[in-house]
Amino acid sequence: MAHNERFEELAALQALGMPLGGEAPDFARHLDEGCPVCEELLADFRLAATTLSVEAPPRRPRPELRGRILASLPGPAAAPAVRPAPVPRTAWWLAAAAAILFVFILWDDARVRRQREELRSQTAQLSGELARAQAETARRDLRVRVLESDDVKVLYLGGKDPQPGARAKVFWSEKAKTGVILAGNLAPLPPGKQYELWVFAEGKPVAAGVFDADSSGRALFESKNLPGLASAQNFAVTIEPRGGVPQPTGPVVLVGTPAA
Amino acid sequence: MCSRSSPMSSESPETDRALVARIESRDTDALALLYDRHSARLLGLAQRILGDTGEAEEILQEVFLYVWRAAATFDSSRGPVLAWLLVATRSRAIDRLRSRRPSVRAGGRGQNAALDPASGEDVEADAASREWEARCREAIGQLPQDQRRALELAYFEGLTHQEIAEATSSPLGTVKTRVRLGLMKLRESVRSYRKSEGHGA
Repeated sequence: MAHNERFEELAALQALGMPLGGEAPDFARHLDEGCPVCEELLADFRLAATTLSVEAPPRRPRPELRGRILASLPGPAAAPAVRPAPVPRTAWWLAAAAAILFVFILWDDARVRRQREELRSQTAQLSGELARAQAETARRDLRVRVLESDDVKVLYLGGKDPQPGARAKVFWSEKAKTGVILAGNLAPLPPGKQYELWVFAEGKPVAAGVFDADSSGRALFESKNLPGLASAQNFAVTIEPRGGVPQPTGPVVLVGTPAA
Repeated sequence: MCSRSSPMSSESPETDRALVARIESRDTDALALLYDRHSARLLGLAQRILGDTGEAEEILQEVFLYVWRAAATFDSSRGPVLAWLLVATRSRAIDRLRSRRPSVRAGGRGQNAALDPASGEDVEADAASREWEARCREAIGQLPQDQRRALELAYFEGLTHQEIAEATSSPLGTVKTRVRLGLMKLRESVRSYRKSEGHGA
């Protein structure tokens, strides 16, 4: 049905909540068919009608009404009744399935834990192999850069009290400006201590860096850009505070015996 | 009316809308704020329609319970929050009025003195609100008397167009036309006001 003035009148009546009587079906059908004019009129008329409310003088509610309204607001969903409802048959099946699932999860969790331990063990083993491979690489690198240098020199260091069993060799190259100490039978040190390598040049010790021994008492330490190598006369290792000191203060555990 | 701004202004719907959004997430403080802001006007409307203090307060309670439950259904594109509240209040009050007919007829309901009339300062704290109300009064005042009467009988008394025709001794078609023309004029006033406030038509 095409839009016409009659429908506008019906829209006005409906906006005010007035019953349309026998004309209601016509208007409903008209709206169902989609009349944008009437749809807009309905909304606008409802809004326009609210302007009439200014003719009603505002009334201050009694103070207690506010609290009564707020107290009557429905809260969150109530707790279940005290008496539990009978469990439907399907719920028992669900409970049984849940129990089976729970057992499976426990079993699977134990299996995952075992796998994790195995992986941890394999990781530790691989880490050890990697460390050994790195050490081997370092030794090979040492040979390339120092031992195979045409000016390489070697000095044997012997243990001194308190570590008379310690042994070491120092390789150095003036061209490479690098010295390498390869030590064994070193004692473990407290956390605050480190071994420190010294180069004796012109009778004075020059700090050449600090290093740690591994758990088997071995150490491989490379000192780069080492000054005074050209006039190096001897090498020594002392026990010093971690990080090293500019002048030796601790006990000497290794010292070289320069060739006469 | 809104104590902070015009109910038709761009500010008030946003502010009220924010409260409605909070109510939707079960914020009782927001409902309390909305109540403080609009309860006097809503109660005044219910009181005007029902003429009974107790029933008007029951309507007010019903409306705020409805707001609490149905905040999610509020559609801001259909008008400001206050209009939503006024429609909810009026429809409930009219339903109650119609349910008790014919014992209480239009014009038979006096103003209940038990309630304190709220002062202008109570319900209209700013110029925008007063301006909106003034514009509404002006628009209503410009209506031809027969159109205004027809609208008042429908809006406050809940009369059908047949009852209005009887009450005013007018033809049914004439009543329909008066209602339509009266609402058209109020609609234009609302549109122009909202347009001036930045809402557009």
